[in-house]
Amino acid sequence: MITLITGGSKCGKSALAEKIICVFSGRKFYIATMKPYGEEAFCAIEKHREMRHGKGFETIEKYTDLNEIVLTEKSVVLIECMGNLCANEMFRDGKVINPTEKIISDIKYLANMCECLTIVTNEVGNDGISYESGTEKYIACINEINRRISQFADNVIECVYGIPVILKGELCC
Amino acid sequence: MKLITGGAYSGKTAFAVSEFGISDIKDGAECSISEIFNAECIRNYHIFVRRLIEANTDPVEFTLKLCSDNNNITVIMNEIGCGIVPIEKSERLWREKCGKCGCIIAKNSDIVVRVICGIGTYIKGTRI
Repeated sequence: MITLITGGSKCGKSALAEKIICVFSGRKFYIATMKPYGEEAFCAIEKHREMRHGKGFETIEKYTDLNEIVLTEKSVVLIECMGNLCANEMFRDGKVINPTEKIISDIKYLANMCECLTIVTNEVGNDGISYESGTEKYIACINEINRRISQFADNVIECVYGIPVILKGELCC
Repeated sequence: MKLITGGAYSGKTAFAVSEFGISDIKDGAECSISEIFNAECIRNYHIFVRRLIEANTDPVEFTLKLCSDNNNITVIMNEIGCGIVPIEKSERLWREKCGKCGCIIAKNSDIVVRVICGIGTYIKGTRI
C-alpha cells in the first residue's frame, strides 16, 4: 500500500504518517532525506527523532539514490521528505538536473519491497511569489513528482493544520 | 471553537459571517492582545501570531491558553505554509509557529472549514 501525504509547513504531516505506519506490524524503516546542515536542521531532525522514539523505527539516513537501499520483504517504510530528496537529487555535483524520472523509479523500486510505503511531501507552489529559475524549476519538479506518485499511490492525503483531507483512496487509521 | 482557514482573500471572513452569523470580528492585525480572550471571532490570526512573536510571547503557549480560556471563539487564519521555505530566519520561525498554532486550534475545534473561491468545505465536523 502506497500513501502520499502532502501539505504545508508544520501542518502535522509527520504525525499522520507515523500513525499510518504504526497500523502495520512489519519491520519499520524511516528513510531520512534531510542533510543535517546547520542548527535549524539539527533541531528539526532532533524533534522528529523524539516523535519517533519508542515506535520501533530503524532510521536510514539517505539523501540521494534511494535505489541503493536494500530492505527485507514486507517492510513498512516512511520516507521523509520528498522536498529534501528532490532538492538533493536536483542540485548535486554543481549541476541542476531534472530528477523526476530517477526519483519515480527509486520510489517504485522501494514500493516493491514494502508492505506499506508512506511518503511525506510538501506543497510548495502556493505562495504566489516568483523565484529565480533554479527555485522555479524545483517547484515544477516536486509538483511533477507529486502528480506522478499520486497516479500509482493507493492513497493521497493532504494535511490542513493537522486535519487529514482525503484526496484519493482512504485513511487506514 | 471553530477554525476557518484557506488562502488569502478566499472569502473566509464573509463565510464566517454568512454561515455562523458572526457580527463582532476582531482583527488580529491591530486588536489588543488581551481582548481576544473575550472575543466572538478573530480574523488574521496568522498576523496575530507574528505580533505575539514581536512582543516576545510564545504563540504556542498563548494559543493553548486561548483554547482553554475562550473555547467559543471562531478563529480565521490563512494557510501560509504551502510555499518555498523562506530565506529570512524570522519568516521561517513565523511560518513554523503559525503551523503549530493552526494545528492546536484545529485540534480544539469542533468545526474546521477550509474556504476556496468563497466556498467552504467542512474538513472537521459537520454543518449544523
